[in-house]
Amino acid sequence: MPALRGISWFLGAHQRTGMGDCLENALSSRAQRRTLLWSVKQRKREDQSAILRYAQNDRVFTELPCAQESDLMKFWGSCAAIPREVLPLVSMPGLKNEDPLPSKKLRLALLLSFGGLLALMVIAGLEALRLARQLHAQEEDIRRTLLAHSQPLLVLSSSICVYNDQVQEYLLSQDPQAEARAAEEFSRLSGEINSTLSKYPETRQPEERVLLESLQRLFAEQQGMVNPVLSWSREERHKQAWRFLHEQILPEQARIYATSEKIAVWNSHQLDAADHALFASFSDLQARQSRLLALALAAGLVLSLASAFYLLRLEQEGQRRYQELARSRSELEELSARLVDAQETERRSISRELHDEVGQSLGALLVEVGRLAAAIPSGAPQIKDHVDKIKAVAETAVQTVRNIALLLRPSMLDDLGLIAALEWQGREVSRRSEMEVEIQSAEVSENIPDEYRICIYRLVQEALNNAARHSSAKNAKVTVEQTADNILVNVWDDGRGFDPQRVRGLGILGMEERVRRLGGTFTIDSKPGSGTTLRAEFPRKTL
Amino acid sequence: MKTLRVLLADDHKLIRAGLALVVEQQPDLSVVGEADDGRQAVEMVKSLKPEVVVMDIGMPNLNGIEAARQITQIRPDTAVVMLSMHADEGYVLRALKAGARAYLLKDSATTDLVQAIRAVVEGKSFFSPAVSRVLLQDYMRKLQRSGAEDSYDLLSPREREVLQLVAEGKSNKEVANLLNLSTYTVETHRARIMQKLNLKGVPELILYAVRKGIIS
Repeated sequence: MPALRGISWFLGAHQRTGMGDCLENALSSRAQRRTLLWSVKQRKREDQSAILRYAQNDRVFTELPCAQESDLMKFWGSCAAIPREVLPLVSMPGLKNEDPLPSKKLRLALLLSFGGLLALMVIAGLEALRLARQLHAQEEDIRRTLLAHSQPLLVLSSSICVYNDQVQEYLLSQDPQAEARAAEEFSRLSGEINSTLSKYPETRQPEERVLLESLQRLFAEQQGMVNPVLSWSREERHKQAWRFLHEQILPEQARIYATSEKIAVWNSHQLDAADHALFASFSDLQARQSRLLALALAAGLVLSLASAFYLLRLEQEGQRRYQELARSRSELEELSARLVDAQETERRSISRELHDEVGQSLGALLVEVGRLAAAIPSGAPQIKDHVDKIKAVAETAVQTVRNIALLLRPSMLDDLGLIAALEWQGREVSRRSEMEVEIQSAEVSENIPDEYRICIYRLVQEALNNAARHSSAKNAKVTVEQTADNILVNVWDDGRGFDPQRVRGLGILGMEERVRRLGGTFTIDSKPGSGTTLRAEFPRKTL
Repeated sequence: MKTLRVLLADDHKLIRAGLALVVEQQPDLSVVGEADDGRQAVEMVKSLKPEVVVMDIGMPNLNGIEAARQITQIRPDTAVVMLSMHADEGYVLRALKAGARAYLLKDSATTDLVQAIRAVVEGKSFFSPAVSRVLLQDYMRKLQRSGAEDSYDLLSPREREVLQLVAEGKSNKEVANLLNLSTYTVETHRARIMQKLNLKGVPELILYAVRKGIIS
């Protein structure tokens, strides 16, 4: 199980605390581990910070359950010497294994619905257009038919009227020429009437047929009346004209007028009927359109409600995630602050132990060896040689222990104060590297609280080491300045520089974390090829 | 024979025991007291009035440098031999400023202790050879890297003589007698040395001399 191996590796370094043992035991079997994880998941609702994810190398993830918050603290306390590589991989819970955002399916459904609604509206519009065209064509058709029927009827009635007039005129006329023309005229008119009748459309309604027949009959009567008149002499005509007019022609004319009237009425009826038909189709269209519109409206309403719901859910989800992220971030910050603290405490105690226990024993050993060397009689060069070798080994050991202790806790901070310790650090770096370090300070009080001194010391240490190791700088300058409002620390070097936006190593993150924890601000001013300036500013009021 | 009384101050009992043995081996030296920390050392100096205090820098409660400052204020006749783990000029300078006259590295304390005690009793300075070596290396490296001139070359032969004698702990009057000069002339030389080497005070002058290997 690589995950467990990862933990074992990690815990290996912290066995002495006992916490490591406990955790390793807790995770010894898969079933136990599952149980623990389950219980942790239960707790998760109350206190998410009970889970810490650890990572070793890249993808070996596991979860360390801690039953109590105090256990967690103790655990962190025991992890002071966490390898720094692990630090950024420690992630807080709540960012993984989340329900995904509202599903893809829902999104697809909404999209399809909107498409459907749009299609519905387009179809409705096209349908309305088509029906309007149809209505228009229908109307044209009706008008044409009506015209084809009513016009010949009117022409017929007026022709018969004219015929009648001609007859009257003929009867009353004294002109001999008119007689000759009358015959021609009558035959022309009757020809005209007959041709109109023959041209009349074949499709006829009953009412129409009646009208047509009555017109035909009237005309036949007329002709029957007129034919004997044509054979009359002028005197005869003169004598009988008035009587004939009154008895025969005028009643006939009245009948013709009545028939014309009937035609007009029939015409208007026909028009009304056509209008009604049109109106009916229009109403039909209107109803269909209304139905479509109502359908589209309802669909739109449902869709907008669904969309609003969807949006609301998205918003809530976003809000929840944001809060989660903010919480995780603050927890992470707190955690790393705690880590820095724990690291410093642990370093101090290890340094103290090294110094007090190992250092003292080695020191005493050296003293004793010195005395032994002095007590050796001059005639035993071999023994003296051995003792000298022992002494050399002991001296190396003393030096090594001292260096380790110093790295862990710079005793010069306690012995000499901040500025002297920085100067010492500067000389150390100068000795070890090709970079000459200068320390400048102005009016720095030695009454700065210890955590600030440690912070400034570690900051300068890290910055100088970075510069000496990576930037191939020749010169570095550290300035510490105390003003009425703040303490300013600047570390400058003339090395090759870097892009602070892209390069953000653990060292820089560590410095930033330390400074921010104390309420200070930390900035890096660097560009490839133009040196680096680190700047930390601590407001006085937090001191 | 007059016995020199020595007070040992170190927070490590084992180290103190070792040092005591070295001191007690000398017929004219005796350990009159052992202190666990700086505060106790100051108190014991007040009550025991030893000629020499051998004291570690890194001690709890009151560190060796602060204790040395108080001791030389209370009893200027008491000579302080400082023990330290660090061959570093920051430490040396602060020890000197606090009034210490000898500076021993703990590694070589047993070998050099007797020599150092005898030197400070005579009013001279003493530094572990390793300290002088490190200070000289630092100095040379700085000169080399900055390309600056060695300010020692600016001094005249007479000024160099005065520098050495002052660094050895001689007073103006003693220097004047030794070199057959007037006190006033010695003072002038001293002032000019300080100015040329950009030094402030005798401790820096001694440090400079150690650095240059003029005294050890």
